[in-house]
Amino acid sequence: MSLPALIAIGLGFVLTAYAILAGADFGAGILDLTSGDRTEQRSAIARTIGPLWEANHVWLIFAITILFSAFPAGFAALGTVLLVPFTLAVMAIVVRGVAFGLRTEAAGDQPRSARSLGRAFGAASVAAPLLFGACAAALAQVSSSPHGPATVSSLPWTGLFAVTVGLLAVALCAHLAATFITHRLQRTGQPGLAERFRRRGLQTATSVLALSVLCLLAAAWKAPALWHQLSTTSLPLLLIGLLATVISLFALARRRYQLARSATMLAAGAIVWGWLIAQSPRLIGTRLTIHAAAATPPALTALAIAGIAVLITVLPAFYLLYALFSHPSPEVTQ
Amino acid sequence: MSGLALAAVGHLAAGRAQMGTSLSFHLFFAVLGVGLPLMMLIAEGMHLRTGDPVWRALARRWSKVFAILFAVGAASGTIISFELGLLWPRFMAFAGGIIGLPFSLEGAAFFLEAIFVGIYLYGWDRLAPRVHWLCGFPIAVASAASAFFIVTANAWMNVPRGFQIVHGRVTHVNVLAAMFNPAWATETAHMVLGAYLATTFGVAAVYAVGMLRGRRDAYHRKAITVALGLAAILAPVQMGVGDLLGRTVAQHQPATLAAIEGVTHTETGAGLNIGGIPLPGHATTVLNVKVPNLLSLLAYDKPNAPVRGLDSFPKADRTPLAGPTRLAFIGMVGIGTGLVLVGLWYWLRRRRGPSPEDRITLLALAAAGPLAFLANELGWLVSEFGRQPWVVYGVFRTSSAITTASGLGATFTGFTLLYIGLSAVTVWGVRRVSTGSPEFLASPIVSVA
Repeated sequence: MSLPALIAIGLGFVLTAYAILAGADFGAGILDLTSGDRTEQRSAIARTIGPLWEANHVWLIFAITILFSAFPAGFAALGTVLLVPFTLAVMAIVVRGVAFGLRTEAAGDQPRSARSLGRAFGAASVAAPLLFGACAAALAQVSSSPHGPATVSSLPWTGLFAVTVGLLAVALCAHLAATFITHRLQRTGQPGLAERFRRRGLQTATSVLALSVLCLLAAAWKAPALWHQLSTTSLPLLLIGLLATVISLFALARRRYQLARSATMLAAGAIVWGWLIAQSPRLIGTRLTIHAAAATPPALTALAIAGIAVLITVLPAFYLLYALFSHPSPEVTQ
Repeated sequence: MSGLALAAVGHLAAGRAQMGTSLSFHLFFAVLGVGLPLMMLIAEGMHLRTGDPVWRALARRWSKVFAILFAVGAASGTIISFELGLLWPRFMAFAGGIIGLPFSLEGAAFFLEAIFVGIYLYGWDRLAPRVHWLCGFPIAVASAASAFFIVTANAWMNVPRGFQIVHGRVTHVNVLAAMFNPAWATETAHMVLGAYLATTFGVAAVYAVGMLRGRRDAYHRKAITVALGLAAILAPVQMGVGDLLGRTVAQHQPATLAAIEGVTHTETGAGLNIGGIPLPGHATTVLNVKVPNLLSLLAYDKPNAPVRGLDSFPKADRTPLAGPTRLAFIGMVGIGTGLVLVGLWYWLRRRRGPSPEDRITLLALAAAGPLAFLANELGWLVSEFGRQPWVVYGVFRTSSAITTASGLGATFTGFTLLYIGLSAVTVWGVRRVSTGSPEFLASPIVSVA
């Protein structure tokens, strides 16, 4: 396998990690927004993502640096057409991160500030996956066929298909968060609260399934080239994604929370890889494949070596973080 | 046609303004993100050594402030990684394959930092004191490493190495030669020291203001002592590194040196302009004191070495921002000199007696904090203004780097509003977690610093 292909696969894993971990993080914001005035649920959400939220968005920065180091021409073409949606998405990420950080660190005893910060956190948490989902869908729509446009001057990210996929991304994030939080509440011995998040998980799983079907219909109608890919090369992943969502629904119904969480993560991963395979090896348009857009071989080699070194240093630290904070422990206050 | 040209300039100006706003905003948080972990480590280490609860209170307070600043800094850093592609896609298409390595390593360092920030912030009561302290080290090391990696990329933009251009295509890439270009050592050292200096003076300023408001307790005294202890060592070192960086510029960026030092015509045995403020509307500079032969000596080690003037370069290759470059440089050097003097003043006074807490000293400290941050911003402006019209010196013009997508006026406006909002909520948040002495010290406790 060629070096650009290996790095592209690495990039795919980074994007998967981002979709699952930051997806759960976005989802926490979505659930927070829809929690009404149930402060109990809200603090359960905050406790689940609290110590980890900062680390997860680093996957996005990784994806960007890999993209511009390994595929500079592709990065340039993507940056040009994504100016508006990615500007909005990065603003949403910033607003939600800062709003959540401030609500946790500074707004403890000011209910009004906490409420408006919470609303900003929630709204931005909806906007970011909506935009990312729509952009990915639009990108797949113009890049999934070898007979499509050679270069792309604008992306149909506000089209029907793109927006439907954006909504699916929002539902999937909420579902990820619901299963993460339910699992954690069960393990920390709060079955009453876990039961409430189980009910929300059942709702989100149903939304994910319904929106998946709508997305497929929209693809068949609006993006025939992509539909062709989805029903051939990406079909196994498509089926895995749908099946995993159904499994997570049943697992929640039978209170098998660990299984529900794993199945949801699998569903998210299958959707990401289904997208990537549908448009591979094209980054954007038909001209910029991963080979045409690749940097020079020495640059790719250096990047690959750096990537391995990074994995060796970062993974143990990441494990330490999860190990420290995922086990049940008394809630700590100042 | 002229309308089209004007639109192109407006487009470029909007892109530059957005990038400049983003970077100057981020720089403030990046500087504190590098400096505060070191201060936290020192304070927590002092607590472990002495058992004095004041040290622990300081470390804990700083870690709360750091948490907010880190969140905002991570967010503004994410914006910049996006903006590189959204605003300057043609520059990234050219440079991504050459200087991608330090950016990837920065990503890794930031990742490690974020992980240990999570452990450190949420681990105060979960980890053994010594283990918790040790978890602070990766934060301090990784944040300095982040600054290091990013600044090697900036050094490459100033002194590009490690590639060739054959028929308009980048070939013969050597990513290590690009990263370790001739400017890497001096530029990174200057930045990291600048970050430590700004943080130490910034911390001292906060507690000096507290003392001016009458809170003269051990908590405030210790904070100032530890901050100025570091600052007094680092400030003179920074001057020396600055001198070395000046030599790097002299050797590799002659047009930039001419702009920085205010040299209009080529001189043999050039004198150093001290003062020499360029004012708009004045043909010559004002308040200039010229020390004969000193510039030639400083830049090239020879009192009679020729120094090229700005007018010896083709007009298209001169920075259009020579005046602002010179002003920023004067400001940076002036403030740096002032900081060295403030540090000296404080420690000379302290050697003779108890820590000086008179109004003059405290006012000087209160002023030194914001000025130290200003000096960092000015130093960055010197690097960026002085390199123009190039984004990669002598190789790639800024005007060729800007995106072809339209709408930069709108994104610039949007980001400016976002930064105003971010600044407001950050100030609010930091004030919420940092006002006053901690409760257990609020009642007057007589203690000896």
